[in-house]
Amino acid sequence: MAETLPSLPASVPAAARAWLEQSCQAVRGADGGQLPVLFPSLPRRIGREPCAPAWHGGGGILVHLGGLRACDLAAVHLLAAARPGAGTLLDLFLRGDLEERTMVLRSRAFAPVDATTLRLLDEAQRSNMLPVFEAATCDSNLLARAHAWPEFGVEGFNRMLLKVAFLGLPLRRVIEAETHANAELSRMLQDLASEREAAGRAVWPDTYRLIARAPVAGTLARLAGGLEHGADELRMAAAEGALLAGRPELVPFARERLAREPRAEIRAVLERLSH
Amino acid sequence: MRIFEPHAHMISRVTDDYERMALAGIRAVLEPAFWLGQNRTSVGSFADYFDMLIGWERFRAQQFGVHHFCTMALNPREANDDRVNDAVMEILPRYLEKDSVLGVGEIGLDDQTRKEEKYFAGQLELALRHDLPVLVHTPHRDKKKGFARCIAILQDMAFPMQRVLLDHGNEETIKITKDLGCWSGFSIYPHTKMDENRMVAICKEYGVERMIVNSAADWGVSDPLMVPKTALKLEQAGFSPERIATLVWDNPIAFFAQGGRLVAAELERPAGIDRRQTFAGNSVLRGQDPER
Repeated sequence: MAETLPSLPASVPAAARAWLEQSCQAVRGADGGQLPVLFPSLPRRIGREPCAPAWHGGGGILVHLGGLRACDLAAVHLLAAARPGAGTLLDLFLRGDLEERTMVLRSRAFAPVDATTLRLLDEAQRSNMLPVFEAATCDSNLLARAHAWPEFGVEGFNRMLLKVAFLGLPLRRVIEAETHANAELSRMLQDLASEREAAGRAVWPDTYRLIARAPVAGTLARLAGGLEHGADELRMAAAEGALLAGRPELVPFARERLAREPRAEIRAVLERLSH
Repeated sequence: MRIFEPHAHMISRVTDDYERMALAGIRAVLEPAFWLGQNRTSVGSFADYFDMLIGWERFRAQQFGVHHFCTMALNPREANDDRVNDAVMEILPRYLEKDSVLGVGEIGLDDQTRKEEKYFAGQLELALRHDLPVLVHTPHRDKKKGFARCIAILQDMAFPMQRVLLDHGNEETIKITKDLGCWSGFSIYPHTKMDENRMVAICKEYGVERMIVNSAADWGVSDPLMVPKTALKLEQAGFSPERIATLVWDNPIAFFAQGGRLVAAELERPAGIDRRQTFAGNSVLRGQDPER
């Protein structure tokens, strides 16, 4: 676990806190038992209010609490008290409702990666329920930490990142994911972008920010083209990507665009790129 | 007009249905666990079905702004099947604790066998233990006798009648149920069971108190817009908007809220899954748009 447990938001009423404390006592050290009965009622008992934006972690674990809800944090407390075995934890997820599944996944972000977490990530990868996939990938560095596990590795990481792109989730919510950019992922993202463009559909803006870190054939042309994209969000992403790539071939395109760029924040990036 | 559709088997419907239902004012739908058109042969199929009701189907509904709830049960048809009946009873208690499970149902009688009666009674005990109301399926054949038998079992167990919804009623059964203290359900179908005009006639004679209408839409010829269509017929017949709202919104909410898990205030806004959270204090919306 992270060095300390996250505190519940101040908005959680005293009665709900007392209930949680009692529940933690009831499940303490007991694998299974009351846990499957108490766990589904957490959203109802503790509430679904979003937590205040703040970072939490330690020992390589990093969680952005602003993406979590009060019941997610309560689940971290309840599971820390119960210390369920792998079978119980998987069962909580597999036989859980939408919210139980997200709470189980959110709780893994506070713990070191283990085989059970990898199995849960695999389940989440095959889910099309957005909140479930979001809980597995967003607002923590869980995915980045899983990258170090050979059983998950680059292949597992790339598959999940591609689905992040497919679903349009913002890269900045997948904490530290950019540090594992790689050539195969760039190829996958560029192929997805081409497919989307052929269909007249939107391209994931963060494509530019990731492919720039591990360029492959076609990357520079895509970054240069992105500087002229009509959508501000895409153009900004391409400018940031071009800056990250640090390739002199892109400088003339940046200078050319700079003279005509109407958005101040994009101009600021292009100016850095031009010098 | 806001509508709570209290009985629709949405897993057998397409997304167009959800879209039309939402546009017609259906803000929430309750999906009772039932038979799937063919018999299951293992308890695992039930567990996966139950998981679908509390997971995937809920998510599917939310994408269209529809709140999704369910009731859980071993249905009377498969109560007759020894391959699954006891095993399903074993897994039910856990599912009855789930947040979106608002009752026990569909329980009751179908072919009116002894086994059906045994598991009906067993599930009434579960409902008492989990503090939930019950949705009772009544037979489509030999209905009056089946209604009477269901009521006898409920009374034998002293089950609180205000927590009972006797479903699939008609002009005959309302005569039996109107003074029992239970809730009377009517499934409005395009061709069978009950239609909108007959429902209007029943409401004229018996009022709308403790009455509930539903489409019971499933995999057969059925129409998930039957509740809004019935509401329109009632309005044409001169019913006030307040009385219609009692029938299609207040009543199902009042009945299913008895278990303490349905909060009417949470239905004030359409369901939503696109949380589009802010990030690190940045208010720019960067979340995923499910329509993209």
